[in-house]
Amino acid sequence: MKKILAILLAGMMTATALVGCGGGDASSKTDNGSKADNGSSDGAAKIEGSIVDDSYFGDEGTDSKPVTLKVWAPDAAVSLVKEQVEAFKKAYPNRKFKEISVVAQGEKDAATNMLNDATTAADVFSFPSDQLNKLVDAGVISQVAFKDAVTEANDEGTVKAGTLNGTLYAYPETNDNGYYLVYDKSVVSDEQAQTLEGVLDACKKAGKKFIMNAGDGYYACTFAFTAGVKIDGLEKDGITQKFVKYDEDEAVKTLQAFAKLIKDYRGTFQSLDVANIASGFASGKCGAGIDGSWDTASNQKALGDNFGAAKLPTINVNGTDKQLISMFGYKYIGVNGSSKFPATAQILAHYLAGEECQLQRTEKLGWGPANKKVQENKAVTGSPVLKAIGEQAKNACIQVNVANTFWDPMANLGNKIIADTCDPSDAAAMKKLLNETISNVRDEG
Amino acid sequence: MTYVEYKQLNPFQRFAYNTKKFFCNIPHAVAHFFTALGKAIVKFFVGIGKGFANYGKTFVKGDWATKLSYLIFGVGDLSKGKYYKGILFFAVEVLYILYMAFFGWGYLKMFPTLGIQAQRTEYINGIIPKQVPGDNSMLILLYSVLTLVITVVVFAIYITNIKDAYRHQIMKANGQKPTSFKYDMKQFLDGKYHITLMSFPVLMIGIFNVLPLIFMILIAFTNYDKQHMPPGTLFTWIGFDNFGSLFNLVEGAKKGYTFIKLTEWTLIWAVAATFSNYILGMIFALMINKKGIKFKSLWRTLFVITIAVPQFVSLLLMNQMLQSNGAVNILLSNITNSHVEIQWLNQDATLARWVVIIINCWVGIPYTILSMSGILMNIPEDLYESARIDGAGPVKTFTAITLPYMLFVTTPQLITQFVGNINNFNVIYLLSNGNPTTEKYYQAGETDILVTWLFKLTMNSQDYGLAAAIGILVFVICATLSLIVYNNSKSMKDEEAFS
Repeated sequence: MKKILAILLAGMMTATALVGCGGGDASSKTDNGSKADNGSSDGAAKIEGSIVDDSYFGDEGTDSKPVTLKVWAPDAAVSLVKEQVEAFKKAYPNRKFKEISVVAQGEKDAATNMLNDATTAADVFSFPSDQLNKLVDAGVISQVAFKDAVTEANDEGTVKAGTLNGTLYAYPETNDNGYYLVYDKSVVSDEQAQTLEGVLDACKKAGKKFIMNAGDGYYACTFAFTAGVKIDGLEKDGITQKFVKYDEDEAVKTLQAFAKLIKDYRGTFQSLDVANIASGFASGKCGAGIDGSWDTASNQKALGDNFGAAKLPTINVNGTDKQLISMFGYKYIGVNGSSKFPATAQILAHYLAGEECQLQRTEKLGWGPANKKVQENKAVTGSPVLKAIGEQAKNACIQVNVANTFWDPMANLGNKIIADTCDPSDAAAMKKLLNETISNVRDEG
Repeated sequence: MTYVEYKQLNPFQRFAYNTKKFFCNIPHAVAHFFTALGKAIVKFFVGIGKGFANYGKTFVKGDWATKLSYLIFGVGDLSKGKYYKGILFFAVEVLYILYMAFFGWGYLKMFPTLGIQAQRTEYINGIIPKQVPGDNSMLILLYSVLTLVITVVVFAIYITNIKDAYRHQIMKANGQKPTSFKYDMKQFLDGKYHITLMSFPVLMIGIFNVLPLIFMILIAFTNYDKQHMPPGTLFTWIGFDNFGSLFNLVEGAKKGYTFIKLTEWTLIWAVAATFSNYILGMIFALMINKKGIKFKSLWRTLFVITIAVPQFVSLLLMNQMLQSNGAVNILLSNITNSHVEIQWLNQDATLARWVVIIINCWVGIPYTILSMSGILMNIPEDLYESARIDGAGPVKTFTAITLPYMLFVTTPQLITQFVGNINNFNVIYLLSNGNPTTEKYYQAGETDILVTWLFKLTMNSQDYGLAAAIGILVFVICATLSLIVYNNSKSMKDEEAFS
């Protein structure tokens, strides 16, 4: 009897095991039911400014599928973006929104956090242009759905810099992500602000400092760019930095000129974090500095009426004045590729990057707009800072397609040029430093 | 050297002799280590061979139920009346098969390639782009490791099942009855109590330590870097290429050069940081504990008070103070009445390294003082008394009693400190962040040690594969050094010396 029971049990076990195997075959087939591309009819749906036709939502935002989205915005913009999100909800009254949360997230680390885990990251996020290739490489950013409308509305440069391999990946948000010369008008006259020699001389005479963060690749690349060593996108492999053709002798001479000038004004020229500029203005120790648009408010507050802003000055290299070339970038709004509500995320990003929202940010936060219509607005043309930035933008390398390996070697170049041990007359050493820097940026070896 | 000759040496000569002996012994110790390792490996394989032999033998000797247990878990136990155990064994098999069918096998079969199909973009209604997930190398690797570990566990259960079936067969042949469920459960509070206690911790260590560890080790053999970032692009196996690039010393090969140079500095740093803290801490402890010093507890409190400020706060403050416009330079300017602007951390490699080592004393010495004071108070007073009666001076008592005693007690602590300093991320990262920068290294500065380089590789340039390889090499360095030093130390060889 016992034996029979055992055999019965064993039989049952085998049966269960086989059933288990059978189930496996069915599940191992991957779900690749691709959605049909029936866009020809919907493609004609209307897009007016930042508001698109309701049909683009598809089945999202219906009663059975209410929208839940997360938006990352930088600290300063959180409350404004929250208002804009409310306005967005009102603009689409037929859709149901469960929750659209706005979370503070510095733009500097947006890409890093997206790469850490895209599934828990925000659906819509803002980021500076240099992170674009990182995001595209990892495949976490979705391309722009309303390409034609975006291209038409925004500055050509911003659209171009957001395009990689012919695909537009992000909605242009600002075109002010750069640095310029900020100075105390009581120390440096507008005329002196035209040349680096003039600025340093004025600061020295007044016993004040000139601050530039030469130990940070973002600012230090000015040395290389001014010397003619400009970046030119990436090589075909998608990660190696390409440079334009440059005259090596001329480049070395320019770097030597920088080194000599800095040596002559040692004590006046200080390589410090840009935060020291505003505090230096406030305490009266700083006469001028190279600072970015994000610190405009604090610098203005510290200097009051004496606040001066201009494009970067020129430097005299063997008798000719050379304009300092800066790194200049844009900010974008991107859509997470793994968003659960891709349509709503696209529509929201399009709205946030639209004309009205850009104008609000220009007025309330002082951000320079990418939208062509907003650029003609009084809020932009009347601001000395945005004017200085606009002028500097003409003398700048665009911060897009910058390799990850770009920043550290550039920081080192800056550190070495301002070092006490640097000998401005030693052309051979300078040439070696330049070549080593470029080979490090290109990750050769 | 004979014993008598040794006894005639002065303490310094003795120290030199011992040091020489230690270094001469290193090749021997290494050889010893590897022979022991070899023996262990042989033993391991012999064990496996024996296991297979038993596996075959049991099958030949087993009855029909035992033989069936080779295919279906638990049959042997069930046929002998041990129902609960048989059902448990069977449940394991069913669960395992279900797991493999619905989850594990899907990942495991992609383990050799780590995925073929990258993600692609589709368009909803032809306009809204949506990314369709493809294979994800990272998830494939992660779940494959999980599946492999589960398979190993299930295999162990499988072997237990066979052994158990055969055991019960023999028990039945001897006319014994299988033990009851109640009796077996009671055993877990009695004879098998260690299993009851240890199973949960072992499980947790497996999940939170061993699994990630295997995962990380495997990463070192892949090309997971900025060009191969899942889910956009996939990564795959590249064998020992990451290790190869670290040992590539061809002129112009930056990764290899950086690795060698940073290893050099890491070892210098570890030795300097460990011994500066140890020796200075000991001196302070001796001073405080000296007889006749007044307000002992006051001094002790003063020296130890730096611990009250969290280490990273002190380090960040120091970093700020040592900037070119920091407090130290301002202080020096005011004292000398001239403009002083010394780049403590940002320009000269040698200066920066000295500064890092010296600042490390600030955060390290208090801990040494604490432990040393305790040990000093524990040295039996009669040892000193008899030394005094024999006419020994303070130097003699120190070299003959205090120092050997301290070294004996603290050698293991020294080793942990040394290993800790090799991996001392905080001090380097927060204090100097690897600065001064240099064009000679790949993604590293002059004061970077291997772990901070590893951090920069993962955070700045996404070279995860390379970073994992460095992690493994750091472990190898730490493990070899600690084993050799510990096995040669007095604490290990002569445990009874001071008891």
